[in-house]
Parts: sequence; structure tokens; C-alpha cells
Amino acid sequence: MILRQLKELIRKELLILLRDRQTIPLLFLMPVALIFFLSLALQGVYVDKVTGHQISLVLENASRAPKALQLEKRIGANKLIRLIARPKGYDNDKLFEYSKAHAAVLIPDGFDDGTKPVEIHFDPVLDAGYKMALRSLIASLAAEVVLGVDDIDVLVANFVVEKTKKNTQFPSPLQHSVPGWSIFAMFFIAIPMSIGFLREKNIGTLQRLFTYPVSANLVALGKLIPYYLINLIQFVLMLAVGFYVIPQLTGLTFNLGEHPWQLMPVTIVTAAASTGFGVLVAAMARTPEQSSTLAATGAVLMGVFGGIMVPHVVMPQFMKTLAMISPMYWAHQAYLDVFLREASFSYVLSKLVILTIFALICFYVAGRRIKWM
Amino acid sequence: MKALDISAITFSYDLATECALQNFSMSVAGGEIHALLGPNGAGKTTLMRVITGQLRGYAGSVFIYGDNASQSAGLKNIGYAPQPVSVFTALTAYENLRFFGVMAGLTPEKLQERSVAVLEETGLVQYAHKNVSTYSGGMLRRLNLAVALLHEPKLLLLDEPTVGVDPQSRHHIYETLTALNATGMTILLCTHIMDEAQRLCSRVTMMDRGAVVFTGGMAAIDNLEKLFLEKTGHHLRDE
Repeated sequence: MILRQLKELIRKELLILLRDRQTIPLLFLMPVALIFFLSLALQGVYVDKVTGHQISLVLENASRAPKALQLEKRIGANKLIRLIARPKGYDNDKLFEYSKAHAAVLIPDGFDDGTKPVEIHFDPVLDAGYKMALRSLIASLAAEVVLGVDDIDVLVANFVVEKTKKNTQFPSPLQHSVPGWSIFAMFFIAIPMSIGFLREKNIGTLQRLFTYPVSANLVALGKLIPYYLINLIQFVLMLAVGFYVIPQLTGLTFNLGEHPWQLMPVTIVTAAASTGFGVLVAAMARTPEQSSTLAATGAVLMGVFGGIMVPHVVMPQFMKTLAMISPMYWAHQAYLDVFLREASFSYVLSKLVILTIFALICFYVAGRRIKWM
Repeated sequence: MKALDISAITFSYDLATECALQNFSMSVAGGEIHALLGPNGAGKTTLMRVITGQLRGYAGSVFIYGDNASQSAGLKNIGYAPQPVSVFTALTAYENLRFFGVMAGLTPEKLQERSVAVLEETGLVQYAHKNVSTYSGGMLRRLNLAVALLHEPKLLLLDEPTVGVDPQSRHHIYETLTALNATGMTILLCTHIMDEAQRLCSRVTMMDRGAVVFTGGMAAIDNLEKLFLEKTGHHLRDE
């Protein structure tokens, strides 16, 4: 009988949820839209600054001498450079003012005999990194031409060696957005959950339920399980959208990491934390209006602190430390451990323990509060 | 056997300075329709919540057909239609009945049989699969009653069952209650409508400030409203 009652409690909750025309868009369409648009918007933050973008360049050669022609050819062939023709009537000021080019390079007559240097004119607002990269590139290419070598990097290889560690800090925009906005949407479950609880309390169905031989724990379980399941479905759908759909539409890539199975325990614990937050809001609020404000504000603040809205890696140190107060931070970092850092499970586990403690505190406080009510 | 036996109940809400129920005792004989009257704030709803097991931590005892009201055996004998229409508006009438039927422990076959029966009794058969949010006030009241009747309780507790309904629905509810009582069902009717109490009930208990102020047979009362005002006073009750 208890199992049948639990099944019916879950069925009722799901029917009510599925018939709510506002809840489903909130829980499923909002994160898809956020993942799609914010992944595109974050490209500028995450993309490798120098190799990820081309610098649009107006290249003018005033000399017909062999070295000048060779330099012109080498600059034009470099993959960092996208050559554009100077629009008619545009001097350098107008060129940059109307964002037609990032820089202009003039190879003067006299370059071959060393009497005049190559001139580089930058857009004044161009990022310092791009300026430095272009300046180094032009200097290297000019040196190659003047010294008569094919590749200056080979020449300096004995003196300078680049050893870059594998990137474990900067996620791709999709690696950031998919878990980030999925977690955000999972915590938004607090809105329909708390509103549903308070609505039932206000119209008396909850009280009526307690006039039947059914235990309070079973009623609570019947309310929690559907939302918990929805949380799990939310993440699976968001992951599918992020992995299969958005790369097709945007060209962004999404790597699941070396141990994708770890997504299961991370999602199971994250869903428990978000459901716990929902129960806490339901217990603390007195009216549906209060609960939606509390849930939305709480989720947004946790998202701001937790590195969902602004990526944790670009935060100043103070904010990075403050981020640790947000459960969303721990959930997001656990996902990034899986996607990005190829972390061992014991490394991920420490974050899951923190999320579990958060969930247990929420359930405990809410239980006490509901009992008192 | 007494259908309802309430003995010396005292209860106060947390942080309240006054008792909501003060040494309250009353009994309802099996097979009667008993009116429970009282001005606003008299403690009627608190009493209903004590009887239906929603409130615990009171002094005294409540027995329903010999079973303690705080245990499931006692609760199984009760059908309760609260004053606010307490059904799920996002579900259909049939889905509401299914939900509350399962909570009451009805078997699937019994649930099917009883759902059809109570929908017929309350005149909602043709609307059974319509979303409850489309129902009129009268239909909602009848569904509220149908849910209470679903598991064939021996004791039916009704809290203001005709508030806000049109005369047609009210008449239908009266006929339904009379018919149910004729089958042996005991009914405790909590109401503010004196005509309703006088028309349906054979006995009356009046309460005020958490205590009984009058109890007796309805047949001996000429003017129920006059008696009510005598027992509970003429001043307004806004608290």
C-alpha cells in the first residue's frame, strides 16, 4: 500500500508540473537558450587570444625591391593575418574609427637598403596582446628577410624552447556553459517546488492529505522524488544539447573529458543539493510570491558568486575565494574536473562531499521549520 | 456506539496566549446529523483539525467509532470536506478521486466503483474528465464533498459545505446529505447558516471561545438564530 501511495503521490506531482505552462519553459528552454547564446558570447573570453582570431591588416608596399616584395609575401601568407584592401578615401584614422582594420603596415621605399623601417599603425583601442603579437610577428618576418633565413624559429630553437602545460584552467565556452547553466536551471527547480508546496498548503490539499492514513515522510518523499528526477533529466538534456546540437550550429567544440562516467555521481549529488535548496525555500517562504523571489534571487546570487555568470577563472582573487560560499561553485568545479582536468574520482569526491553537506543542512533546516509550522 | 466521542480537549497553538479549545467535550451518536455552530474564532476549524488528526499535542481524547483519532484506524472512518475547496485544480475530477482514493487505501477495483458512485451522487459524471480549474463554485463544492465520500466513511465531517454556491448546488448538496444519512452515515455539519442547520440536523452543539455553550436536540428549538445570539452574544467577532 505504501508503494502504491508513493507512486500516486509522484504521479500527481508530475501531472501538475507537466500541465504548468510556465514551469517547463523555465526549467528546460531557459537553460538551452542560455547555453546557446552565452557560449557564443563567451568565445571572446575563452578563445586563445592570438591564435584564435585573425588580425585584419591593411598592408601597403611602397617599394618594388626584392626584400620588400618578399616581406609583403610573407606577411600576407601568415595565418594570423587577414589582409584587407584600404577602402577608398580612408586614411588610418578613419580606418580605425570605422573598425575596418586592426592595424596598417607600410613597407617603405628604402626598406631594402635599411634606410627606412617598416611602419606599423595600430587601432588605438586594440588589445595590448594583439599589438604585441603583431609587432613580434612583423619584427620576426623582417629579420628573416633581412638575414636571408627561412624560419627564424629554427634559428633560435637552441636558445628558446616553449614548454606549455596542458590547459586545465580554461574551459571551452561550451564546457563552461553546459554545466554552468544546467546547474543554474537545476537550482531554479526551487521556484515551482516551493510554489507548489505553498499552493497546496494554502488551498488545504496538504492538510487534507494528512487526514488520510499516510505518513508525513511519505508525503515529503512524494514531493521530492519528481523534482529530483526532473533535475536529472534537465542535466541529461542539457548535456545532449551541448554535446550534439550546439556544436553543429555554432562550430564550438565540447569535450567530455577522460572519465565521463564521473558525470553520474556529480549529477546525482548536484541534483540532491538543488532539491535541498528547493525544500529550504519552500519551508522558509510564507507566500508563493515570497518563495519565487527567494528562489530566483538565491539562484542568481549563487550563480554570480559561483562562477556561472562570470567565469571563475577570470575573477579577481577576492571573488575567487568568495565563490566558495556558493554550492553552484562546487558543482561547477566538479563538472570542470571531469571535462577539463581529467581528475581522479577522489579529487572530485571532495567537492561532492561539500555538496552533500549543503543538501543535508537544507533538508534538516527545512524539516525543523516544517515541523514547527 | 458513539460515532464521535470528544472528551476534555484542551489545545493551544504555539505562541498563542489563549487556548483554542478549552476542556472541550461533545459526542455525536451514530446515524445522526449533528450541527456544530459557533461565531468566527470560536474554535470550530481547530476542532475539525483535531478530529481529523491534523493537530497533535492536545490534552484529552478523541474517539471515532471506538478508535483513537490520532491513529490510522480512526482516520479510516472519517470523511472530511474542509471549508476551502481542497482539491487539485490542475487535475481532473477523476484524477483527484484516484489520488485521494489511493491515499485512503482503496483497491483499484473499489476505487473505480466508488469513483463512479460519488460522481453520480454529486452530479459530476459528465465533467469527470474535465480539468477542475474549469469548474464553477458549486461544482467545486460538490467535488470537495465527493472526495470526502469516496472511501465510504462512517462519519462525515463537513466544514461550511455550501459557502458560496448557488441555490441549485446548495439544494443538491442538501439532498445528497439527507440521502447519505438515510443509509446510516453520521454527519457532523459545521455551518453559519441557521436554516441549513435547522433543516438538516437533529442535534446541535454551540461553541464559543473554545468551549461548549449549548448542546441539545433541534426539535426543541423554535428560533435557532435567536438562541445562538443568546448563547454567544451580539457583539461582532472580527478576531
